[in-house]
Amino acid sequence: MDLFTNLATGFAVALTPANLGFCFLGALIGTLVGVLPGIAPITTIAILLPFTFTLPPASSLIMLAGIFYGAQYGGSTTAILVNVPGESSSIITCLDGHQMAKQGRAGPALAIAAIASFFAGTVATVVIATASAPMAALALKFNAPEYFSLMVLGLTGAVVLAHGAPEKAVAMVLIGLLLGLVGIDVNSGAPRMTMDFAGLGDGIGFVPIAIGMFGIAELAVTLGKPQDRKLLAFDWRELWPSKAELRQCTPAMVRGTALGCLLGVLPGGGAALSSFAAYAVEKKSATDPRRFGKGAIEGVAAPEAANNAGAQASFIPLLTLGIPGNAIMALMVGALMIQGIQPGPQVMTSQPQLFWGVIASMWLGNLMLIVLNLPLIGLWVSLLRVPYRLMFPAIVLFCCIGTYSAGNTVFDIWVMLIFSLLGVFFTKVGAEPAPFILGFVLGPLMEENFRRAMYISRGDPLVFVQRPISAVLLALAAILLVILILPVVRKKRDEVFQE
Amino acid sequence: MLTRRGAFALALVLAAFAAPASAQNFTKQVTIIVPYAPGGTSDIIARVVGPELSKAIGQPVIVENKPSSSGNIGADFVAKSAPDGHTLLITDAGTLATQPNLVKKLSFDVQKDLVPITLVMFSPYLFAVHPSVPVSTLQELIAYDKANPGKLNVGTSGVGSIQHLTALVIAKKYGLKWGIVPYRGGAAAIRAVVSNESNVIFNGALATQPFVVQNQLKGIAVSGEKRLPAVANLPTFKELDMPIVDTGSWQGFLTSKDTPPAMTARLNAELRKILAQPEIVKKMAELGGEVRTSTPDEFANWLNKAINDWGAVVKAENIQIDG
Repeated sequence: MDLFTNLATGFAVALTPANLGFCFLGALIGTLVGVLPGIAPITTIAILLPFTFTLPPASSLIMLAGIFYGAQYGGSTTAILVNVPGESSSIITCLDGHQMAKQGRAGPALAIAAIASFFAGTVATVVIATASAPMAALALKFNAPEYFSLMVLGLTGAVVLAHGAPEKAVAMVLIGLLLGLVGIDVNSGAPRMTMDFAGLGDGIGFVPIAIGMFGIAELAVTLGKPQDRKLLAFDWRELWPSKAELRQCTPAMVRGTALGCLLGVLPGGGAALSSFAAYAVEKKSATDPRRFGKGAIEGVAAPEAANNAGAQASFIPLLTLGIPGNAIMALMVGALMIQGIQPGPQVMTSQPQLFWGVIASMWLGNLMLIVLNLPLIGLWVSLLRVPYRLMFPAIVLFCCIGTYSAGNTVFDIWVMLIFSLLGVFFTKVGAEPAPFILGFVLGPLMEENFRRAMYISRGDPLVFVQRPISAVLLALAAILLVILILPVVRKKRDEVFQE
Repeated sequence: MLTRRGAFALALVLAAFAAPASAQNFTKQVTIIVPYAPGGTSDIIARVVGPELSKAIGQPVIVENKPSSSGNIGADFVAKSAPDGHTLLITDAGTLATQPNLVKKLSFDVQKDLVPITLVMFSPYLFAVHPSVPVSTLQELIAYDKANPGKLNVGTSGVGSIQHLTALVIAKKYGLKWGIVPYRGGAAAIRAVVSNESNVIFNGALATQPFVVQNQLKGIAVSGEKRLPAVANLPTFKELDMPIVDTGSWQGFLTSKDTPPAMTARLNAELRKILAQPEIVKKMAELGGEVRTSTPDEFANWLNKAINDWGAVVKAENIQIDG
């Protein structure tokens, strides 16, 4: 296989001083927002999106990816020391990590979280590299009907794997779909739902929606929750876990990584889901499940490995098929489109430097993160003392500047503000914004490819089931729907999310 | 070392050269409006030319994107800006030649409210098919379409685009029954034809050429009157006596009406000087076109002809887009 040639290409791109710099910057920002509860990586990526336009595509993606997996490292620090998850994906780390800290074992908990993350990151990099070759072969067979079926699967997945009530997720997908259709229709050239607003001719901008819903709205929601930040001290000399603990953790790390790689690929999956699943598996398979929740070190290792593997694996559908599996990946699609790159299977062949460069940078980024996180932990912890009243106004200002600079119109700032309000509203009524953004991004593509497929087949709808790949994708979507409807499975799903 | 007298003489000579230009000096920052989102051809031209123009006129030059409505928002902005030559428009055949014919309630008149400065770039179309289509000449293609109606689909860069209109005109002339499938831009259309989703394309030659050379597409002909060196075996539209010989994509600089002719002349001179630089010519080739500059009058004639020619096509085909 020319896997090694490809990886060599990738490292050649990732190791240029500029890209190393952006990788470091991404990892650094990622750790920062990971440590700070209330600022999610998605907020950060949304805000930085307009600023990446001036960067070369590879550098921009390398940095944004660094923020995402960097946050998985940073999130665990806060979870262990403060018992507040820095990120949704480190919620589960609080359970045993904070217990360990209370028992004076904060050092080993932090160390094992970083080691597990690094292990998972390394494995996930290899998995992405290997998985992409067969994906690329498959990608060449993708035409309009396959794309349509893939979008159907993606949106079904977004509903099935969303938190909370599926009805709400369906509603969110539909609202996203509807708003995604605003603008000039590519198939007829006619403007739709533009209400004669010139600014809506090309549709509602992705950047203002993303910044509004994920930047400002998330901040507002965070402010509404009472903050309790009690910092636990930890001893420097006791950072390293004992040999016995390491041995105990290794199988947990391997299982967590495997689960993360699998669940990360699923549409709607990613870091958070992987960590929940990994914890559940460890608890079930343990000889003495009662230890969990009382400072079991496997309870830290498995979910930390899983969330990092999941974060990186969610790049597989994005990089190979151009399909974003979760909201963060949808933002990455936006980042590519800003660069004039239409995401899709062709990215791998037409932009090998970008594709392999990003993959290689992930491993380098993980290496940087372990260096950043372990020795500098004191610095990160001190950041937790910066009050929100200083931090948040600065972020809101940054959001406005970012939105304006993306399209140079004040109209976009209004759009952003409207969507901030909508975002708060959606969160308050318990509807997740993630399915919305997936509907917004995938919906128009689904319609476009549906109509194109129908036109090319001269109106024969059987084209979607006669082509094998398309048929398989539709069948998978149908299976997901059945699973969602079956009461037994549904109860189980609720349980998983309850935990 | 210059002697004092020599220096004085040199200063006089320089002053003599500088004098005619001083009548139309640039007094403040110049803005180049790109009516499309960042990353497209017009945008890249603006960002390549901008810094050079700034050096030449001694004022900052900034590029501003005003995307939306097929370029009409940005063009309208320039048409209504102060007529002092400090607000420039860079755009393409879409905004300048087809939109005026397609959109009834356009808020400005390309021919009346904008003043042409110079053409920038022209790229003839390469007419190609997917290798699985068993034809290699125009005659074979016509025969294939007769025998297999509905099997051919032309991928175009969008509804009402020059590619779309070209496909319509050719279909009409030869009685072809091919379908016309709009995509989001030329790059997406090429991708679709390379992957055999659609199977016929008319697209900028330099962007399409590599696919023909690597046998991912099969060339049929090139638009214009000149064969292309990289695909010299392909006949031209002129040789084949095809309609709309001059079809292709092009970009140009314009500014608002009532700009003093001296200002337009100065801009024309500076831009043509910049576009003659070897690095800029190379950059344009990477974008898929050859640099083609003109005087303001030549550009005006070019524009009028393009608007009339495509207007006739739009009318004959009864294409309507409301917006």
